[in-house]
Amino acid sequence: MENIKIPAEERSLEVDFDFAANTFSLSGRSFPENVPEFFGPLVDKLKEHFATQKGARIVFSFSLVYFNSPSAKYVLGLFDLLERTAEAGNEVKILWACEKDDDMQEMGEDMAEDLESATFELRFLN
Amino acid sequence: MLASEMFDLRDTLGQQGITFCYSGYMTEGILLGIGNAIKTQMQLGDADAKVTKGVFAVFVEQVQNVIRYSAEKIGNEDSSELRYGILTVGSKDDVPFVACGNMIETKDAERLRDSLTHIKGLDRDGLKALWKETLRGETPEGSKGAGVGFIDIARNARHGIDFDFRKVDDAYVFFTLKALL
Repeated sequence: MENIKIPAEERSLEVDFDFAANTFSLSGRSFPENVPEFFGPLVDKLKEHFATQKGARIVFSFSLVYFNSPSAKYVLGLFDLLERTAEAGNEVKILWACEKDDDMQEMGEDMAEDLESATFELRFLN
Repeated sequence: MLASEMFDLRDTLGQQGITFCYSGYMTEGILLGIGNAIKTQMQLGDADAKVTKGVFAVFVEQVQNVIRYSAEKIGNEDSSELRYGILTVGSKDDVPFVACGNMIETKDAERLRDSLTHIKGLDRDGLKALWKETLRGETPEGSKGAGVGFIDIARNARHGIDFDFRKVDDAYVFFTLKALL
C-alpha cells in the first residue's frame, strides 16, 4: 500500500504512515472543521492493511497536543482497531508521547485501559 | 453618552468577572481566531498551562455546539448557514469559567436537561466510563457530532458545570451551560 504523508496544519494532524515498515504516526492538534472527512479515509486504509497482517510487528505512535471530542471518537477507534489487530496474531505497540502531567497523559492512559493484547508505552517529552 | 453606554456594558461584564465576550453568529473562522486570542491572553496572564488547555478545549466544544445546534440561524443547510450564540470567558474567585448560551427548540429542552443532569451527577470515573461508551456507541439521533461534547466539557470542568433554561416563547428556550475550571 502506498505510504501516506500529510503535513500538519493549524487544526489538523501530521500523518506519517509507512505500510511496508508497519510504522504509523499521528502528531499535533486535531479539531478540523470536518473530522470524519479527515480521519475516515485514513482509518479505511489502516483497516484494509491490518486485515492482511499476520505475525507482523506494528508500531503506532501518537504525539498529540490537543484533540476535540469528534476526533476522540477516531483516536479511541484506532486503539480498538490496534487491539483487534494484536488479537489477530500481531505484535502491536502503541507509543503515546506527551508532556508529563499534561491532560494528554490522562487521555492516553484512559484510552489504553482496555488494551489486553496490544502494548502501550507512555513517553514523556519533558 | 456613547462612551458611557459602552463603558457601562464593559463594567457589567467586568462585575461578573468576564474578560472576554462574544455575542453573534459563530463560524469556524471565529472559533480559530478567538480560540487563539484566549490562549494568548491566558498565557500572558501566567495561567497554569493545564487550565489554559482546559479553557481552550471547553471553548472549542461550546462554540462547535453553537455552530451545529443553535436554533437561532440565518441561511439554510444546503448553501451556508450561520447560527447565533453568546460566549463568555472569565474568572470569579480565581476559578476560570467558560459560559455559552444559545436558543434551542422547546422540544429538545427536556432531553438536554436529562442528559446534563445525568452528566453533572457523575464522578470522574463515571464521566470517563460514559465518555468511552459514547465514543464507541452509535451517534445519537439528531446529532451531527460524536454526541460527546458535553461529557468532554464536564471532564475538563474540574469545578463542575452549571446549566439553565429560560423560556423565550412556545417554540424556543434559551439554554446556557457554564463550565468552571
